[in-house]
Amino acid sequence: MAPGGRGPEVRVPASQGVSRLDAALIAQSLLSGLLFGGVYSLMAVGLTLIFGVMRVVNFAHGDMMVWGMYLAWLLATRAGIDPYVGFVLCAAALFGLGYLIQRALVGRVVDAPHEMQILLMLGVALVLENSALVAFGPDPQRVRSPLRAATVWLGPVFVDVARLVTFVLAMLLTLALYLFLTRTDLGRTMRAAADNLYGARVIGADVGRVYAVAFGIGAACVGAAGALVSPILPFQPAGGLGLSVASFNIVIIGGMGSLPGAFLGGLLVSVAESLGAVFLSPSMKELVSFSLLIVILLFRPAGLFGRAAT
Amino acid sequence: MSDRPGPSRMHRRTFLQASAKAAGAAAGAAALGFPAVLRAQVPTFKVGAVHPITGPLAEPGQACRLGAQMAADAINSAGGIKSLNGMKIDLILGDTQTKPDVGRTEAERVINQGAQMLMGSFDSGSTQAMVPVAQQRRVPFLVDIAAADPITANVAKAVKEGQQKTQYVYRNFPTGSSFGKKAVQYFTEVFQEAKVSPKRVVLMYCNDLFGQNNAKGFQAAHAAAKPSWDIVEVIPWPEPPQDLSTEVSRAKAARPDIIAPITRPASAQLLLPEIRKQRLDIMGIVGPGSPGLYEAGQLATLKEDLEYVMSSLPWANFKNPRTQKVAEDYQKRSGGKTFDTNSGYSYDGILLIADILERAKSTDPDAIVEAIHKTNWSGGLMQYAGPVTFNELGDNPNAVTTMIQILGGKPVAVWPREAAVQKFVFPRPKA
Repeated sequence: MAPGGRGPEVRVPASQGVSRLDAALIAQSLLSGLLFGGVYSLMAVGLTLIFGVMRVVNFAHGDMMVWGMYLAWLLATRAGIDPYVGFVLCAAALFGLGYLIQRALVGRVVDAPHEMQILLMLGVALVLENSALVAFGPDPQRVRSPLRAATVWLGPVFVDVARLVTFVLAMLLTLALYLFLTRTDLGRTMRAAADNLYGARVIGADVGRVYAVAFGIGAACVGAAGALVSPILPFQPAGGLGLSVASFNIVIIGGMGSLPGAFLGGLLVSVAESLGAVFLSPSMKELVSFSLLIVILLFRPAGLFGRAAT
Repeated sequence: MSDRPGPSRMHRRTFLQASAKAAGAAAGAAALGFPAVLRAQVPTFKVGAVHPITGPLAEPGQACRLGAQMAADAINSAGGIKSLNGMKIDLILGDTQTKPDVGRTEAERVINQGAQMLMGSFDSGSTQAMVPVAQQRRVPFLVDIAAADPITANVAKAVKEGQQKTQYVYRNFPTGSSFGKKAVQYFTEVFQEAKVSPKRVVLMYCNDLFGQNNAKGFQAAHAAAKPSWDIVEVIPWPEPPQDLSTEVSRAKAARPDIIAPITRPASAQLLLPEIRKQRLDIMGIVGPGSPGLYEAGQLATLKEDLEYVMSSLPWANFKNPRTQKVAEDYQKRSGGKTFDTNSGYSYDGILLIADILERAKSTDPDAIVEAIHKTNWSGGLMQYAGPVTFNELGDNPNAVTTMIQILGGKPVAVWPREAAVQKFVFPRPKA
């Protein structure tokens, strides 16, 4: 890789057998990947919930996340609220946005063919992206949290405290969502509507409201994910598409509409990308996650936890 | 709409009829009357200024647009192009959205709207996509910013081999390979001047056309110069990245003395804090030249993570009083931003186009190309190694970079001596 490297000082870089240093590097990348995976999981859980309940693919998912990031930034810079607290407000705001988008727009196309839904959601994505550009300008931003440079060293391996906090909060939110879906009436109605729309209507479920709440919760998940990563990841209005694509990849790997699938898929993709950056060239790490997608689709066409289409 | 009461519908119909008639009349009037009106007005020369105004590179792209507009205003208010009866420069603005395919369609659109020259477009991918349009439509294209070598070299080759008749694409910006040569030279000189001898340099770069080309240029220049330091590890990342922690861990495992990053604004915001977090024990971060390490927005967000970072960049010549004046103006009109690489080279691009037109005394594309070849211009505000001229590839060999460093939260020129306004701090102080 390094041309002209013929001097006696030069050591040929990387992948020349596993030295002690390489073992630390692998452990480090496993840990970093796992911790970052919490965010991927939370992003994907929101997307899979929306798809699972109303079979609408939310192409504006990444842009909603970017708005979550900007809201966290506004709270941090204008009101001095740390994103690790402010994420609750961001989630609430995105819930409102999701609820409104479902009621005003998505509700009209729930029964329409997929391509119409996709066009609508791409339109919503464009509006969200460009309104962020108008409101916040094009510069990449990053929220400055006191935790941003905090690290704990365990021998040669370090734990990034911001990532650890993000990971734990993302886990708790996913758990809370799971409990909501399995233990509350509204959650059960939501699953009923997802399982059998006709049946849900027959027993008198207010499907319109259930849909709007589901869309709101999906948006709230990704809003919270956005706020939680805002101290770790720089963001700019154009960043939504990449985040949407990452979420789709995870959801398809985990199985469309499956909550545990999205959760484990997020961890899996993040760890795979992180290890890919060690064993292959880092610029190929996206190749790893998309290759993973192809391999899983070959052997389990419905994804890891998906149910075969009926 | 259709169930509105009658009067409303009537109203709309009459409105439509009336507006159709009005439009017809206007078109007729335009067809007959326009030439007369035009003759009465001051003639204009239309330049299609295409930059990334939206998308990931919107920040530098908007700086380019403002720089170009300010230069056009300055020329027009000083009386326009004198050899063409005070012809004014009129910009037709385009937005590549940071996408190469859009760069191409925008180039076509501005030409269809009458652009007689093209200028653009900051990122190498979009610029490359605009080149065939300029060649096919015979519209001279001055690349104000874009470093990838093939942009001009491919056209020069096609003309040399007789596949194309005329080269319409010229560049007033350092090429990727010249970025590399200067960076290797400055690295070595700065190390010598500081009386230190770092050995292990880790090159990290964004894996897009610009990043690849500049990384290649840097490595090739290093191989040719055989300096006392080595590139011990090369780490590319996909741009824009979502995480760079593993990349930095990998760099750390190579035990570097220097990290040499080729970034974009978003990736710089990931990379620099990560280097701090993982506590790399290095003498400094010295970039071979890229965006992300000096812009106002980056300085505001990254703060202490950017302090002491050095980068070899095309930079404005602040020893020129005229540059200082334009920079002050720019600061006012941009809401407090620094006049830098992007605003500066686009500003110079328009000044250069005015000089070319002044000498061409014609708006004919081939007369313009003729004048471009004879260019020998030293009215620019950027740092040049001599007057702007164009070599056999269509590049300006005198467009060179300057080593800048962030000191006290501000980017300042620190090397070479003739450009330096302050002494560099290297190795950086230990935290």
